[in-house]
Amino acid sequence: MNMDKPIRRVAIFALLLIFALMAQVNYMQGSQAEDLRTDANNPRLYADIFKTPRGQISAGGEVLVSSKEIDEEEYGRVYKDGPIFSPVTGYFRGGATQVENAYSALLSGDDSRITNQRWFDTFIGKEAEGADLELSIDPRAQRTAYEQLKRATAPGRRGGAVVMDVETGAIKVAASYPSFDPNEVSNDPRSDEGAKRLEQLAKGEGVQRPLIDNALSQTFPPGSSFKILMAALGLADGMDANTPVDTSDLILPESNRPLPDSHENGACGGRAPLRAAFVESCNSSFGRMAMELTIQKLHDGSEKFGFGDRVEIEPNFFAAESSVPVEVTDAEGNVIKTGQDATARSGIGQENVRSTPLQMAMVAAAVANNGVIMKPYLVEKARAQDQSEVYSADPQEYKKAMSEGDAKELQDWMRGVVTEGTATNLQGRNIAGKTGTAEQTPFPNARWFVGFSPMEDPKYAFAVMTEGSGSGGTAAGPIAAEIMAQVLKQ
Amino acid sequence: MSSLGEQIRARLPYQRRNAASLVLLVFAMVLTLSAFAEVGLARDGSIPAGLFGYGGGLAVLAVAAYFVQMKFAPYADPLLLPLAVALNGLGLAMIYRLDLETSADWKAAARAGGEVLTDEADAPGQLMWTFVGIAMFVAAILIMRDTQKSDAPLSFTPKTAQRYTYLIGLGAIILLILPIMPGLGMELNGARVWIKVGPMSVQPGEFAKLMLVAFFAGYLVNKRQAMSLIGKKIGPFSLPRARDLGPVMVIWFFCLGVLFLQKDLGTALLYFGLFVSMLYIATQRFSWIVIGIGLLVVGVFVAMQLPFMGHVDQRISIWQNPQPYFDGGCMLESGEVVPVNPNTEIYQKHDVEGVISPGFAACGELGGAYADSRQLMMGLFALGEGGVLGTGLGQGEPWRTPLSFSDFIIDSLGEELGLTGLMAILLIYGLIVQRGMKTAVAARDPYLKMFAGGVSFVLALQVFVIVGGVTKLIPLTGLTTPFLSQGGSSLMANWILIAILVRMSHDARKPAPQAIQDEGMTQIVSTR
Repeated sequence: MNMDKPIRRVAIFALLLIFALMAQVNYMQGSQAEDLRTDANNPRLYADIFKTPRGQISAGGEVLVSSKEIDEEEYGRVYKDGPIFSPVTGYFRGGATQVENAYSALLSGDDSRITNQRWFDTFIGKEAEGADLELSIDPRAQRTAYEQLKRATAPGRRGGAVVMDVETGAIKVAASYPSFDPNEVSNDPRSDEGAKRLEQLAKGEGVQRPLIDNALSQTFPPGSSFKILMAALGLADGMDANTPVDTSDLILPESNRPLPDSHENGACGGRAPLRAAFVESCNSSFGRMAMELTIQKLHDGSEKFGFGDRVEIEPNFFAAESSVPVEVTDAEGNVIKTGQDATARSGIGQENVRSTPLQMAMVAAAVANNGVIMKPYLVEKARAQDQSEVYSADPQEYKKAMSEGDAKELQDWMRGVVTEGTATNLQGRNIAGKTGTAEQTPFPNARWFVGFSPMEDPKYAFAVMTEGSGSGGTAAGPIAAEIMAQVLKQ
Repeated sequence: MSSLGEQIRARLPYQRRNAASLVLLVFAMVLTLSAFAEVGLARDGSIPAGLFGYGGGLAVLAVAAYFVQMKFAPYADPLLLPLAVALNGLGLAMIYRLDLETSADWKAAARAGGEVLTDEADAPGQLMWTFVGIAMFVAAILIMRDTQKSDAPLSFTPKTAQRYTYLIGLGAIILLILPIMPGLGMELNGARVWIKVGPMSVQPGEFAKLMLVAFFAGYLVNKRQAMSLIGKKIGPFSLPRARDLGPVMVIWFFCLGVLFLQKDLGTALLYFGLFVSMLYIATQRFSWIVIGIGLLVVGVFVAMQLPFMGHVDQRISIWQNPQPYFDGGCMLESGEVVPVNPNTEIYQKHDVEGVISPGFAACGELGGAYADSRQLMMGLFALGEGGVLGTGLGQGEPWRTPLSFSDFIIDSLGEELGLTGLMAILLIYGLIVQRGMKTAVAARDPYLKMFAGGVSFVLALQVFVIVGGVTKLIPLTGLTTPFLSQGGSSLMANWILIAILVRMSHDARKPAPQAIQDEGMTQIVSTR
């Protein structure tokens, strides 16, 4: 009996085994190579990370972040005016935050948008160079914002300011105080001092957490500035400027304690049209409105503005979640439902309502942009080293928060706040908005001014928050005016 | 109808192809020497001293082997020796590259009396074993004579082994059992396949592999008629008789025993796959393959159910999804895998004074089976780093992978030579297998056919199991990579394997003795 035929079949099978190996090697080194190279567990990722310079980050034509050779073939990161821009740039020392983290692959040149374009370089083993980023930030306004927040914020407390272009969502200012200098941790990314400093910064002091910026990543009670959102809900519910509301002192039903107004003269004396109650910021009427609407409607309505969502500003770079909770869980794990009293206090931006300055700027943006909130972003463009554009921001609608008519109506009311309401000290500064003063007894107030500019035909929305004694109109308002003066001075 | 073998033999040139062999051998040596030069230039910025020691050493050995082949097996397949030399040379260059002690910096530091690291990669040792391996090749060529000269005194041909079939089988089994013997065997990297002989550790399985091929060939040549012709026909399959099935079951139990006692799935798969393929060659009955694969599946399934065989079960789980196992993962009873790497809380809880493996302890608390896929993942990362063209010899970081010089040497080569290099290496293996199979077809004797076929197939299967394992094609099990891995047993056994193929190919390819037909001329016996 002849054995040649089975031998040939076994030979074919043996060669198929080798062929399967060839196919697998192609799969692994061809299509899987990129995934394997960028796998979070791959130690090579961290070994070579300092060996090549990263791209620059600039804003308004000014280079803010660049790489510097520290010793042979090792690069550190250098930040111009580090504390001013760190809420946007973040830091990079292997691990990274903010834009440095969101665009890490583009900055280092590992991103497929660069490697695909420079495929020949990759093919011959030449290292691809990182792309440069252009931020949407207005550096002059950002500096003003930081200096002003630093000046106005009480010792040991916090402040944050955000300005965004309402038509595109481009963030023009994202300032935070206290801040940190990323140079301390990134100039020499392998140094022990840097690591120690980072640990110290992460721990913070009191309520100050320098690594967590107060513009995008930290929430505060918005106080009366929340009434913009309340007014929008009221308008959507069928109220209008002339709807008469009860502005007499509100006795909270559960505790029988009053919810006082900040002042008892003027509109807040007994009965007033809704617009007047808004411009004079009568707590009692908005407390009543909240109880009538119920906390569930407040919660659902606020979600139309972005509450309850971590806005993804840039890839993997999320803003903190702002919230109007229906119930909260305390430290012991007990669920506490928001009752009638708490609902009334939620209506004036207190109790458990929390918002980032970015979120309040987005509320103002909804008003200023006829009801549409654009998705906020920070990076306008990324260019490869050959100046070709590898990324360009694509403005997108984030949420339709209210009708165009309601938005136009609210624009008028917010102008009224400056012309005849709680912020007459800001007349002539070409800004409109809503004041807010949230009590955080025993701590200093969170003082807000949330609005838009210019007064007519608004282009920018802003939110300024700083903690200290006094009210939003006098503390935060002038800061907003200073910042917007810089933004508008083109 | 002439058989395939006859057709091939009819077309064989019956020429000596020694010139071709020499040219290819020179090319293999150029490849090796350039590899050494590249390692030195990339690592130390100069042509390494090792180029003359190692590369030159290999060149001298290869040329010696060539002359022996030219003289004593002139009709041998011209490709086998150069292909084996190329693989051996590349492996040696890679081990030289991975051996810290061969770098100029290390030598300078050692001379200066500085603190120096040592590693397990051992280039001088591998050169020594290459020498022994090629010496084995030469010796085997010299000892194994042409089948025609089997009547000469003290002759030993590949066919001689047929006379000692059962003795060889017994020898193979003894070799396989040796590592399990207490006091003699030792466990390395989770597998018990080594024995200690004086200062050296030997892997008897590598030699047993060849002896098993000889045993199977001898056994099946005797029994194949009965096994292929007699049996009940059920549907498309003809089932063999129980008494023919008996020996198959013995081999099956034996392989499972290897699997259980040595916890070595790769070796079990290797022997069983070899046996089934040879059974098929001998009988041409497809039913044998079905029976063989069925038995293997049953065996592996049983192994996975047994509590103390967590090893096999988990290797399959790691293969399917290695990520959660990185730096330690824990497979719970439910089959869910929970990471217990140093970044996890449960690990940190157990990371206290006196606990040797906090991950293992943490997994114990969860009540699961602990495993770490770091090794496999690091190997894959090396492949990813290599990409299409590789980093270049001496310019990557293959040392990051544990066992980068032995089990994972393919990943090391993949990093530095890239996809291109690995394809070339796999092509070399494919060519060796193809030449071996061609020898089997061309051989005239059934025993030699089976021997050559089996030897070629076992090489292909071994390459498949280990290279497939380190490239995540199949679950990872430890086997040596023929000619590339560091280790003497493997090198010696594989050089003997090549010698057997060279001898058989010489036998098959040399012209058949011609009968003298033209008797017209008177032969002049003496002029005086």
